[in-house]
Amino acid sequence: MTDQYRPSPARTLRRRDLLTRAAQMGVALPAMSALVAACGGSSGSSSSGGGSSAPPTGTAVLLNYDGWMGKDTIAEFKAKYPGADIKQASLSSISSGSIVPAIKANLSTYDAALGDVAAVGQGMAAGIIEPLDWSKIPNIANVDDKFRKGYPQGIPTDYGKTGIGYRADLVPEGITSWADVWNLAEKYSNKIVFTDLDRDCIGSALKYKGFSANTTDDGELQQALQALLDIKPHLQALKSYNIGAGLAKGSYVIAMDWDYDIALAQAENSNIKWVLPSEGATAYLEGFFAVKDTPQLGVLEEFFNFFLEPRQYADFVNTTGTAFVSNTATPYIKKSISGNPALIVDPATLANVEFENYLGEATATYNKIWDQFKSA
Amino acid sequence: MRYAGRALRSVLALPTLAWMVLFFLVPLGLIVVYSFATISLVTYDISYGWTVSNYRQIHDPLYFDTLTRSIFLSLTATIGCLLLGFPLAYFISRQPARWQRLLLVLVIVPFWSSFIVRTYAMVNLIDNGGPLEDVLHTLHVWSGPLNILYRPKGIALGIVYSYLPLMVLPIYVSLERIDYALIDAAGDLGANSRRTFRRVTLPLAMPGVAVGCIIVGIPALGEYVIPEILGGGKTLMLGNVITDQFLSVGDYPFGSAIAVALMAVMAAALVLARVVQRRAPV
Repeated sequence: MTDQYRPSPARTLRRRDLLTRAAQMGVALPAMSALVAACGGSSGSSSSGGGSSAPPTGTAVLLNYDGWMGKDTIAEFKAKYPGADIKQASLSSISSGSIVPAIKANLSTYDAALGDVAAVGQGMAAGIIEPLDWSKIPNIANVDDKFRKGYPQGIPTDYGKTGIGYRADLVPEGITSWADVWNLAEKYSNKIVFTDLDRDCIGSALKYKGFSANTTDDGELQQALQALLDIKPHLQALKSYNIGAGLAKGSYVIAMDWDYDIALAQAENSNIKWVLPSEGATAYLEGFFAVKDTPQLGVLEEFFNFFLEPRQYADFVNTTGTAFVSNTATPYIKKSISGNPALIVDPATLANVEFENYLGEATATYNKIWDQFKSA
Repeated sequence: MRYAGRALRSVLALPTLAWMVLFFLVPLGLIVVYSFATISLVTYDISYGWTVSNYRQIHDPLYFDTLTRSIFLSLTATIGCLLLGFPLAYFISRQPARWQRLLLVLVIVPFWSSFIVRTYAMVNLIDNGGPLEDVLHTLHVWSGPLNILYRPKGIALGIVYSYLPLMVLPIYVSLERIDYALIDAAGDLGANSRRTFRRVTLPLAMPGVAVGCIIVGIPALGEYVIPEILGGGKTLMLGNVITDQFLSVGDYPFGSAIAVALMAVMAAALVLARVVQRRAPV
């Protein structure tokens, strides 16, 4: 069954392209301790129909990454609910800084959107999020508790960590931490790539300096900026797509990258190693949420419930190659994904990641630091 | 009858006029209005307070340096295009008519493929170990790695590569229109070829040079794609800052203010070019 699902590199690349500024900021998870404590507990597997009595009708517009959907999901949803449809739209960039103002300016255009916890936090502040009737989405029980608690305003779809990928055959020293990256920068000058995302770079620099990736302390942020400025002369580029591919090709030997991108690259080159840095890593959690006052709420709730059916959710994971949030789908997910150490969700891993929070007014400070880094 | 003809011409212009108003002037007006507004980056509520704070922010060294870098890169690339484009245009204009047509087609052949694809092709071309490095090594012009890609010189090279046809074509038009009897006359009056070029050909080609510099330099100033791809995200031009403000930060008013400021710089360049054109002999 799972063999029929082939992650499409092209799709992944497009998604990466659109991820340019995604996963930038995160809404505060209730508490990291609660997240870690909840680790391992997942609700029972089920595939339940929605709670509504009449089948939904209408077309809902979903603002989404291009290709960030199971390859058969929409078609099978339409087949199951002939009167309902999901039309996908995409922006050139999907981040809290782009989708929230876009939705706010066009509330009647979009019915739902994909966004990370930062976008949801931003969306809550901007008043653009419609609460869901969870009685109509019983399959939310298929999502692991830790992710449900982290994304209570919508249905979580995926998560990811920002760590280090490197070529073990070309970096014999080995890498286990952000400090190693900074220390080896001079030796491997022009052979290092960082992600072109502000929260990933600033958050990783903060971790390197031993601070929270969500700090709003100006002194700590200035230290992170200095660390980034120190390493910038040795960076070949800041990239938002094809990072793992370049690592596989050998265009560079060390990269700040997302877990699933490294997992895909490892299939091309087994010398690529994934490192969750000893100082810790930043992580994002994203999902679908409904837009305020959408007339298609019924269709959306039915679709969200359908999306979380184990086989449908597995289709999504197998198509995108992402780290997943529902263990009930594991039997249908390709072994190369479900068994990949880079994508694994265990207490030890989660204890070492810090989800990016929504920063409110402090977002402007991060923006300024990012501009200073890129302009230098 | 004459009145009817004039009315018909007006009616024929209406669709274009409507298009320009709807899709150029109205959005431009909105950009200007936005540039005087403020936005809350928490709620994304916009206040139209007619403030100039966004324009003041441009004077922040952070953004002013980016503006300076954009002007420098644009000028460098324009000069590069001129240095490469003028000899090529001159060469083409001196060929027999049928060869001219063929050579002009060759000049515009790159436009048959996507701009994005061409720019990505440059990545492989100028990368260390790429074909350009191989050629330079073979010719003993350069040794060691090129180190052009993901640096400002890579951006300048990319702009030259992409915009060169826009420089060649207007210069060719100016050169092709030169009455070569004038050149013969200069020779008859004792001018050598260098003096003839400097005193006759070059002045007559100046309108084409001015147009070429405008249509290369102005779009290059706001270039976004080339620095994004060939600059490796490390070298910002003003186009990248504007994009970031709209697509990443969500600060539409500040992004609009930078865009308006950029347009002002471009308008100044156009006025300057117009002055140059007026002084040049027709």
